[in-house]
Amino acid sequence: MGIGRLRTAFAAAVLAGTALAAPALAAGTLRIGMTASDIPLTTGQTDNGGEGMRFIGYTLYDALINWDLTSADKPSGLIPGLATEWKVDEADKTKWTFKIREGVKFHDGSAFTAEAAVWNLDKLLDDKSPQYDPRQAAQGKSRIPAVASYKALDKYTLEIVTKEPDATLPYQLAWILMSSPANWEALGKSWEAVAKKPSGTGPWMLADFVPRERADLVPFKDHWDQTRVPRLDKMVLVPLPEPNARSAALLSGQVDWIEAPAPDVIPALTGAGHQIVSNALPHNWTWHLSRLEGSPWNDIRIRKAANLAIDREGMKELLGGLMLPAKGFFTPGSQWFGEPTFAVKYDPEAAKALLAEAGYGPDKRLKVKALISPSGSGQMLPLPMNEFIQQNLAEVGIDVEFEVVEWNTMINIWRAGAGHESAKGTKSINFSYFIQDPFTGLIRHLACDLKPPNGTNWGHYCDPEMDALFKEIRTTFDAAAQDEVMRRTHEKFVDEALFLMVTHDVAPRAMSTKVKGFVQAQNWYQNFGSITMD
Amino acid sequence: MLAYLLRRLVYVVPVALGVSLICFMLVHIAPGDPLVAVMPLDATAEQEAEMRAAYGFDKPLPVQFGLWVAKAATGDLGRSIATGRPVAGEVMTAVGNTLVLAAAASLIGFPLGLLFGFVAGYFRDTGVDRAVTALAITGVSVPNYWLGMVLVIVFSVTLGWLPAMGAGPGGSRDWGWDAEHLRYLVLPAVTLAVVPMGIVARTVRALVGDILSQEFVQALYAKGLMHGGVLRHVVRNAAPTALAVMGLQLGYLLGGSILIETVFNWPGTGFLLSNAIFQRDLPLLQGTILVLALFFVAVNLLVDLAQTVIDPRIKRT
Amino acid sequence: MAVITESIVAPVERTQGYWSGVARRFRRDPVAAGCAVLLLLLILAAIFAPYLGLADPYAGSMARRLRRIGTPGFPLGTDELGRDMLARLVYGGRLTLFLGITPVVAAFSIGTVLGLVAGYVGGRTNTVIMRLVDVFFAFPSVLLAIAISGALGAGIVNSLVSLTIVFVPPITRVAESVTASVRSLDYVDAARASGAGAFTIVRVHVLGNVLGPIFVYATSLTSVSMILAAGLSFLGLGVKPPEPEWGLMLNTLRTAIYINPWVAALPGLMIFVTSLCLNLVSDGLRSAMNVRD
Repeated sequence: MGIGRLRTAFAAAVLAGTALAAPALAAGTLRIGMTASDIPLTTGQTDNGGEGMRFIGYTLYDALINWDLTSADKPSGLIPGLATEWKVDEADKTKWTFKIREGVKFHDGSAFTAEAAVWNLDKLLDDKSPQYDPRQAAQGKSRIPAVASYKALDKYTLEIVTKEPDATLPYQLAWILMSSPANWEALGKSWEAVAKKPSGTGPWMLADFVPRERADLVPFKDHWDQTRVPRLDKMVLVPLPEPNARSAALLSGQVDWIEAPAPDVIPALTGAGHQIVSNALPHNWTWHLSRLEGSPWNDIRIRKAANLAIDREGMKELLGGLMLPAKGFFTPGSQWFGEPTFAVKYDPEAAKALLAEAGYGPDKRLKVKALISPSGSGQMLPLPMNEFIQQNLAEVGIDVEFEVVEWNTMINIWRAGAGHESAKGTKSINFSYFIQDPFTGLIRHLACDLKPPNGTNWGHYCDPEMDALFKEIRTTFDAAAQDEVMRRTHEKFVDEALFLMVTHDVAPRAMSTKVKGFVQAQNWYQNFGSITMD
Repeated sequence: MLAYLLRRLVYVVPVALGVSLICFMLVHIAPGDPLVAVMPLDATAEQEAEMRAAYGFDKPLPVQFGLWVAKAATGDLGRSIATGRPVAGEVMTAVGNTLVLAAAASLIGFPLGLLFGFVAGYFRDTGVDRAVTALAITGVSVPNYWLGMVLVIVFSVTLGWLPAMGAGPGGSRDWGWDAEHLRYLVLPAVTLAVVPMGIVARTVRALVGDILSQEFVQALYAKGLMHGGVLRHVVRNAAPTALAVMGLQLGYLLGGSILIETVFNWPGTGFLLSNAIFQRDLPLLQGTILVLALFFVAVNLLVDLAQTVIDPRIKRT
Repeated sequence: MAVITESIVAPVERTQGYWSGVARRFRRDPVAAGCAVLLLLLILAAIFAPYLGLADPYAGSMARRLRRIGTPGFPLGTDELGRDMLARLVYGGRLTLFLGITPVVAAFSIGTVLGLVAGYVGGRTNTVIMRLVDVFFAFPSVLLAIAISGALGAGIVNSLVSLTIVFVPPITRVAESVTASVRSLDYVDAARASGAGAFTIVRVHVLGNVLGPIFVYATSLTSVSMILAAGLSFLGLGVKPPEPEWGLMLNTLRTAIYINPWVAALPGLMIFVTSLCLNLVSDGLRSAMNVRD
């Protein structure tokens, strides 16, 4: 990570922020209907996936390194959070030092220090430590696989040693949220008590909390970054998992904002004067292909043919316009997109030609089994979307037979891999991926050493060339150079059509016109500080 | 009679044990790994074993059952897999909310059912009877989850008269029996009341009709006895059965509101149960069903006892 | 929805022409008879759906999704994937009626046997069977169905299993009480005294008396069963897409209620009308057979 560049960016952000923060007016209450069925875990490391991090994670807490959520126009990158700068040792590339931001206070008034950071890492990684919390560990441990050891060198310097040189460490650390050790002590060392009265360093504080029904967040005026201090008086989070109940709640004025409105409700919502906000999201809805012996997807012509057979614009219509058709594995505007030569587009004639070349045709149709789920987090509308793909593929000569399994079962099969008996001989799995960083975006899907059961390389893909690229990503410590390797890797993903690339979610949210000042970042997380209510 | 009451009370014990065995087994006939809900997508085998031990899923079944019953008897139903909170607390809050809803539905459904049934039975085979019977049978036949959706569209979304979901602006913890909160109760309670209304009306209509057609009642009429006397006779004779039916219906409201609670996002047991099912939160599923079933057993017991007391004809030994 | 009330059924005197009397009385009830005809039509349509010249219930197109009722070519409009609603409702009747009727038939067979055995043999056998039934009775029916389906997971077979388990106890109870009362009747005693075997007595004397009341009771359960089965699918615990089934169609069309409320309401309406008819037919049978409740 180029520290100089970050510093400049930070200074600019502070300057811009002070200008913004000036007219801080009392601005009412914002009520949000979430899709989660419960208030996400409040103690620090949240559950409920992206939504948990968005509403409870990045609101109540900070990480050492944060995501930049201020811009809607460009993909968001990492910015200093509780660490102001970090660098890797020139001689020993496993040794990192982090300069801890001075003067940062938790909501309970205690100070954030390097010791507090160590305490928080122990909370997740050291099951002998008194503050070890299995619930948070379950959420956080797997996010920082690179971390081998850590210690506080002094009050404001943290050292982290990785298992092997790994330049993706900053992305990993952006997952880890810091809760207050003093608060935990004060509440009888009980995480259950902390859940009701958590203390982080984030711009929001939890004021009140009724499990499964409501969480009230209020501004933390002493946040270290005054630009992020919320202008609202209060933000109320309401779990509303049922899509119709969510829409009805917005339409009848019980909430001001809902996440993920159902596409068919959108005309009614806009008709009633509500606004629909959406933006590109580092999310990928794909068919992860099996590359085991006997899979037809081992033939690059068939992979390309399938990619050319999908009428993504037609699918967009099905989703009421709320999707971003895929042009690659990353979103088209991603900083890591690069310049792949294979154009992912709708061209059924070219698809038929490729299939003919591969030895298939009208009299010899390709038959293939595919795994899908009827629902699931991030899966958008899996059934109609997959049925749509089924029709598209049938038109070029690929007959797909679906194996429909329940979402949790599907997660198990995804972990077990294409070769496991539970996959029932299917040659692809329809999965949606969080692709916000190098590891989750690229490495975990195709690295040789992450074949099941060691990791989530579902299709047992293994290509030494690809592994060399992954190694280069991990060992390129200069941010710009690393981005360059990322681009080259992504080009290989697309040019070899390693996935059936279908679409990206655009994280639609519907809100009353009273909600002002929201900037939807191209990220799974969002900044609620700039919002005001009329 | 006292002996009967005692026997009836003691008999609850084996039933309760049987009920808990079924609740326990429910979870273990479930396919799939109960820990999927909490395990991060890319957890290691070591992490999995750790979690399994933490939730006690590594022990043999009979041991798990023994431990579970012993703990349940002390009010400890374990911890929810999805939230880590004690199940007992969650279930009791939810039962409270469901009781509020069930009570409201009873208050709407039972008096209406009694009234309709009585009128229909009294004026048997007249136009009034046919109208009321049609209403009652409609109530019994309508899929109430569908009715709930229609009511939301009409009264919340289109007319904007009543809230569409939830238990009040502050959630169920701030619940109060005031106008502001009662508004939230109207739609779910009315939707839920439709079925018991129909059932009570049908039962009472049959009862009243039967009593009125008995020979001695006809004789009373013939003797020119005042209607009041006949009415009193009818009420006295119909009351025990009507009471029994209402008791059963109250029990069904407690367990049967799951679909309605889903439609209205009402924070009761049904809502808890559907979360438990879809997150495969097995301890929560077990606990919720156990508490509801035991509640139902208790209601049945009370109805039985009440019936014994008020109906002198039932000689139970 | 939870309409399991225990019938206290009096044994009926058998006379010549009993069933023809029942049929005559039933025909005289215009509402019940009309409903029976409507149900018959629905069942026939469901069985012979492939021969009715309907559109393919699985073939959809984004270009024609959520068309209104009365659209040329789509008399009842199209669903959220552009599939013909008429075809899906007719085909949906297959699964919905199947899911409504099968558990009751299965529970009728199992429950009647259990009830007959318990009521006729009595003693310890009766205690074991009836106490087991009591335990299952301790669950409200909707709760039990959802709990079992929830544990087993979604699917047609699992729905059938869970609904059957729900309906066995009430039918067993009714069968047992009727059997026990028939057993103590004079002519059964006489038959036993004359040395007839238990099986013969049950078949000749008990079964004839018992089946009628239980059958009436079972028909009233069919409506409950159908609403419950559709409810399971509505919750996502029953039939899996893309199979047409009324409860599931109601579920998947839920969000379309804002765009095309009438089409979205159709599956609910079908469940309602069918269940209404089942109840009316059951009522008609009840009075035609002189079963008191």
